[in-house]
Amino acid sequence: MIKSLLATTALLASATMSFAGDLSTMSWDDIVTQAKEEGEVTWYVWYLRDDFRRAVQVFEEEYGISVTIPEGTAAGNSEKMLAERDRETGDIDVLAWGTDGFATVDLAPLFSSLSVLPADDGRVVELAGFDGGEHVVAFWGNQTGIAYDPAHVSADNLPQTPDDFAAFWAENPGKFGFNYENGGSGPSFYQNTLRVVADIDFSNGEVTDERLAAIQPGIDFFNEHAENYVVTASNADSIIRASDGELWMVPAWEDHLAGLQNRGEVREEIKFYIPEMGMNGGGNGVAIPLNAPNPAAAAVFVNWLTSPETQSMFNKDFGTAPMNTAADDSFALVPNEQRAFRQVWGAQPFRGEVEASFIDNVILER
Amino acid sequence: MKLRRGLLIIGLLTPGLGLILALIGTVVYIAVSQSFGYYSLNGTSEFSTEFWSKMAGRKAFKRSIQYSIYIGVFSAIFSVALAYPLAIWLRKPFAGSNFIGAVLKAPLLVHGLVAAFLFINVISYHGILNQFMQWLGIWSEPRRLQNDPNAYGVLILQTWKNMPFALLLLTGAVQSISDDVLDAARDLGAGTWDRFRRIIAPLTVSGMQAAMVIIFIGAVADFSFQVIAGPTNKQSLSQLMVSFKGRGDWHSAAVVGVSLMMIALVGSAILAVVARMVMRGRIK
Repeated sequence: MIKSLLATTALLASATMSFAGDLSTMSWDDIVTQAKEEGEVTWYVWYLRDDFRRAVQVFEEEYGISVTIPEGTAAGNSEKMLAERDRETGDIDVLAWGTDGFATVDLAPLFSSLSVLPADDGRVVELAGFDGGEHVVAFWGNQTGIAYDPAHVSADNLPQTPDDFAAFWAENPGKFGFNYENGGSGPSFYQNTLRVVADIDFSNGEVTDERLAAIQPGIDFFNEHAENYVVTASNADSIIRASDGELWMVPAWEDHLAGLQNRGEVREEIKFYIPEMGMNGGGNGVAIPLNAPNPAAAAVFVNWLTSPETQSMFNKDFGTAPMNTAADDSFALVPNEQRAFRQVWGAQPFRGEVEASFIDNVILER
Repeated sequence: MKLRRGLLIIGLLTPGLGLILALIGTVVYIAVSQSFGYYSLNGTSEFSTEFWSKMAGRKAFKRSIQYSIYIGVFSAIFSVALAYPLAIWLRKPFAGSNFIGAVLKAPLLVHGLVAAFLFINVISYHGILNQFMQWLGIWSEPRRLQNDPNAYGVLILQTWKNMPFALLLLTGAVQSISDDVLDAARDLGAGTWDRFRRIIAPLTVSGMQAAMVIIFIGAVADFSFQVIAGPTNKQSLSQLMVSFKGRGDWHSAAVVGVSLMMIALVGSAILAVVARMVMRGRIK
């Protein structure tokens, strides 16, 4: 009995592996045909799930493939992918993850090659210092910047440098807030301020005592002005308090703000800009785990997700920076010339050590 | 015969004890192992005390321990202190006492996250409280009450959430005291405070201890109240643990998790002993 069970399991496993591996030898039309036979795809994405469930209806109608988007967090989804990497067949067809998340793992042992997708020169695989190679393709471009209330802050006199921000804090105490956890907009602000004030190269991930000590001028800058700014609880908390009128300027994500404004949850008057000192931009990518249960449907879905049409729709509906060069980007919150101020997220592990130091020496000292 | 009896006892204990050992034991085992470098999700698994030594030197860790103990102890004390007079008041049934008891226990039905968001709405910059105080003319402009640095908001939420639980335990304990005992004390000249100190407190000490310990363990590990309504210049141990996990540093998260378990264990034991001594009049 046990022998026959083992034999059946081995047979099923080998069948699944050969099934998944066959995509590389198939034509795109054959892959689409197989995808329709599979009939379903499970996309693990950790944000805007309700909005995405509506957005993917276009895909479902076009291909007759149903898309399931389970609930889950970014960490939970990626940990699930890692935890079930040794299963013959996992639960995840398509995994969405930040490019900085993908950068923490070795891609080839975890994800299928995307070379099976039809050629499209407009797709983005290199983003914010991360190269997805043939395993990860970007589907969501995002940018941090400063959201402000034009009723109180003139668009002609927006702070552009750390000194400008310090002057704004002094003139308007308690009207600027940023988060240091639960979202990346605040960390983008304080890390870029540290970068400029302390003249630190965040693209180098090496950790040494000298490099960590060198951020001290930036730490001093925040401590000197500690009375004049507010620390908020999260990205969302910052934006909500700006919309409520309590705060006049807060760091925010462009797509997050646009999404909240589109849904009427944040005042439309709130504006957004990228300061000249630079703030971080980046994006999220998608990849297909090697043990995806519906590999063909996953490939077809990734192709749809990164197409110019879908990326144009995302720009219009979510305010994202399109991740296909052929897409329309006319609905963005910031003009293209401000994109030149985009900075890349700091390299690890140095960035993590700076974050820990900032919490210890600025946040806990308040 | 002895063997059969031994097996019978083990067999009878297995459903309860086995479940506890299997569920709690494996979690504790994994957490302790991870804190010493094993079960690495994304690296080499090998024995190391580095994570403990690094954590011990971190200011954030020490501050989190102090803060979590502060929240745990004061939440337990406030909850029990508020529950005692209510339990004594509700000891003898009167018209409407069931309704009042039910209303007082209502917070048990409200999830902590919901309570925290409701609380934030009430105290926010343009929330009901600020508007009311300005309407009364007491405040001339809105005040920033959210995420207060002394964590009064978290203590209010913890007390609001846990007081009904303490009330549940203390009501039973107080109701078990016979009228004869209290009448005798009254006849002998004991006033309200003396009757509480000499009769009610010693006879309800077990219920009070249980309430203190369970509330302390829950509050010391608070996450949901802290991340929404807590001070932004302090982190609870749970918050710190989650922040390490978020960075993919499972070993440091495990160190904080194991520390949290030890603090809950040792802290609740100390709290129970001190509470018993106070209530029995050995510490005045």
